[in-house]
Amino acid sequence: MSLVHPLPPAPRTPLITAERVNKSFGAAHVLRDITTSFYEGEVAVIIGASGSGKSTFLRTLNRLEKHDSGRIVVDGFELDEQCKNLDAIRREVGMVFQQFNLFPHLTALENVTLAPRRVRKTPRAEANRAALEILARVGLADHAHKHPFQLSGGQQQRVAIARSLAMTPKVLLFDEPTSALDPEMINEVLDVMKDLARSGMTMIVVTHEMRFAREVGDRILFFDHGALLQDAPPDAFFDGQRNDRIRAFLGQILH
Amino acid sequence: MNALVDVWPSGWTRQQRSTAAIAVASVALALFMWLVARPLALMPEPIGPAAQEFAEGTRVTVWLTLVSGVVGVVMGLLAAVAKLAPFPPVRWIADFYVWVIRGTPLLVQVLFVFLALPMIVPGLRLSDFASAAVALGVNVGAYNAEAIRAGILAVPKGQTEAARSLGLSPVQTFVDVVFPQSMKVALPPLVNNVVALLKDSSLAYVIGVVELSNIGNRVQAATFQPVPVFLATASIYLVLTTVLTQISGAIERRLDLEGRHQ
Repeated sequence: MSLVHPLPPAPRTPLITAERVNKSFGAAHVLRDITTSFYEGEVAVIIGASGSGKSTFLRTLNRLEKHDSGRIVVDGFELDEQCKNLDAIRREVGMVFQQFNLFPHLTALENVTLAPRRVRKTPRAEANRAALEILARVGLADHAHKHPFQLSGGQQQRVAIARSLAMTPKVLLFDEPTSALDPEMINEVLDVMKDLARSGMTMIVVTHEMRFAREVGDRILFFDHGALLQDAPPDAFFDGQRNDRIRAFLGQILH
Repeated sequence: MNALVDVWPSGWTRQQRSTAAIAVASVALALFMWLVARPLALMPEPIGPAAQEFAEGTRVTVWLTLVSGVVGVVMGLLAAVAKLAPFPPVRWIADFYVWVIRGTPLLVQVLFVFLALPMIVPGLRLSDFASAAVALGVNVGAYNAEAIRAGILAVPKGQTEAARSLGLSPVQTFVDVVFPQSMKVALPPLVNNVVALLKDSSLAYVIGVVELSNIGNRVQAATFQPVPVFLATASIYLVLTTVLTQISGAIERRLDLEGRHQ
């Protein structure tokens, strides 16, 4: 093993590539020529004013929204009309929603085991064991048999994260995961996300939590009126910001 | 009237109370069907001597309701799903079905299945009971379709999105996520429909099914005592609908995880 001549970094292949992605809702042009790539192990944070298209962009990445033009390639498969294996791609792309979207008729444990049991055909006992492990990881081992309505917002969102993790996705998408939470519950969710980031999980996070973005993000992507205005490392983005529009946005949100 | 859910020990959970109520009411219904002749036999003329006939009529009425109820739920589910299908012709068929059935009298439908259908479909042999069951089931199915459709539409879109983004197929999403939640909204009107069905089953009388109303009319014709006969007939219907309502109330409580009924 040579310490003198370290291997050159392997050429990284992106996990997700978006090329000139456009999307309109009627007359509203919500995504304009978005081109970017996301790599394994990376935490990308997407910020921008509401209505800037950041959530819509996130939702095109697992085709909850169809893009009108351009290309999106996830894990080697292009998302398009001919896409036969959409379900297969979605298994690799976890999603955490602003409103949690837990299944209210199922317990926390059942929420986590549903997809492994139905999609991966994992036997119930094995799925339960794995789910309890994941629930313990998000600090909810004691709440496994409660229904969502018996849990606080922060706990519900952690169950939702556990539910996504149970499918061992290659990338996790977070759509404003703390925006629906009371302030005192935001940190418990952010802590779980920080743990995930430290464990090497690939994450794309739409959020208004600037401290999280700066602390955990490898890149900050700023969306403005449907366009990707800037893509920069957190230090450069927050401390060396030259763009007036972004400075104005940060000025508003940080005070 | 949901008394049956509330009589259990205070330590029991809502689920346990509901389950107990469903079990007790179901057993009560079975016992009533089986043993109804005994109390009737103790009654004076003209009911007592006709107790066995009344009991048989009660059994036929309940059986007819159960069979057509099952047909109706299946038809309703199919039509509801068809009404929400992405492929327009499928929607048109379902719309046509609901339009025709809700727009014509049940009596005409019963007569149509019994008398006209065998002429349209040569070789089709349906007994009077089967004809009534088909007509009643198809009829209640049209009303069930609207109830189930409303239930499905009441499930938030986020539920489907969450299920699909976990990789569940459209069918799995419907079976495991959307349908169970839709029942909370659909169940009260569905039960209404079944209670109405129990009463509407009396229309089977016109094609000669020997159910409860038919028995009542026969006994009345033989004894010329319409007042006690029809009071007894109505009372039996009332007992049946009351038991059905108890069962449905208990099922509703059972699905009500959040405890909004209280």
